[in-house]
Amino acid sequence: MVAKTDKKDGVIGVVLVTHGTFGETLLQAAETVMGPQENCLAVGVDVNKGVDETLEGVRKAIHSVEQGKGVLALTDLFGGSPTTMSLSLMKSENLEVITGVNLPMVVAALQARSMKLPELAEKVMNAGQQGIKVAGAMLRKKAKK
Amino acid sequence: MTLVRIDNRLIHGQIIETWLPYTGAKNVVVANDELAHDILQQEIMSLAIPQAVKSSFVTVEEVPAIMSRLFSAPGDHDSIILFSSCADARRAFDSGFDFHVLNIGNVHYSPGKRQVSPSVALSDEDETCLRHLNRKGVELDFRCVPNDPVQVRF
Repeated sequence: MVAKTDKKDGVIGVVLVTHGTFGETLLQAAETVMGPQENCLAVGVDVNKGVDETLEGVRKAIHSVEQGKGVLALTDLFGGSPTTMSLSLMKSENLEVITGVNLPMVVAALQARSMKLPELAEKVMNAGQQGIKVAGAMLRKKAKK
Repeated sequence: MTLVRIDNRLIHGQIIETWLPYTGAKNVVVANDELAHDILQQEIMSLAIPQAVKSSFVTVEEVPAIMSRLFSAPGDHDSIILFSSCADARRAFDSGFDFHVLNIGNVHYSPGKRQVSPSVALSDEDETCLRHLNRKGVELDFRCVPNDPVQVRF
């Protein structure tokens, strides 16, 4: 049996835009859980480089994952330059930007890329919030029952 | 669909995020002699399982009886059955748990084992178990996650 890879037409592109190599490593972690993925890229923002150069890098990444269904940009810090740079591309690209990226969000994004962009954005945001638990407290509560 | 799998780590991220949605399974059965007696470890492992999915922890010996009860009860029978070793999967099969496809997901490397894929390393004993199952008609499916291309020749 040959497993199908993600070659279906028209999935939403995913770009991780973060400080340094955070996004790249996060994507590797997601691929450990989900297997190899297509049409997703990580771009690291090097604050020592010029803004124009970096912005061009982000734009290129968006174009290379865009398949006509739009692109989801996952950024790290609300207010940080990876976020503001991504936001500045919203005018020219079919782009949604979500901040506060964590592993549950990347996994959720890669799971449901045939959704429409606004719905996927909602799902990814929820997954990110629901992925944060005081798991020790949950376990203690369960043990009490 | 029902999935029978060997995975050293039993329930973990790959199971929760890929195999559960892929199979649509409503039951996860962990067959492991140590875990069957370790309530704390069971609770830790079941924390992330979605509420609609039922998990149970049984000894390898109990598997044939548990599975035939599960398959004859009303409700959704699709299940993921997890073993931590090739030997445990063989033991369950030989004692009457009948399955046709065995997924080999994660079998960790240790010295003396042969690496057959990035996630699977087999000892001589593992190979003996798998060949035995294969001779009995069990198809061997070497995939870590559902969309892995199958590249192992065994």
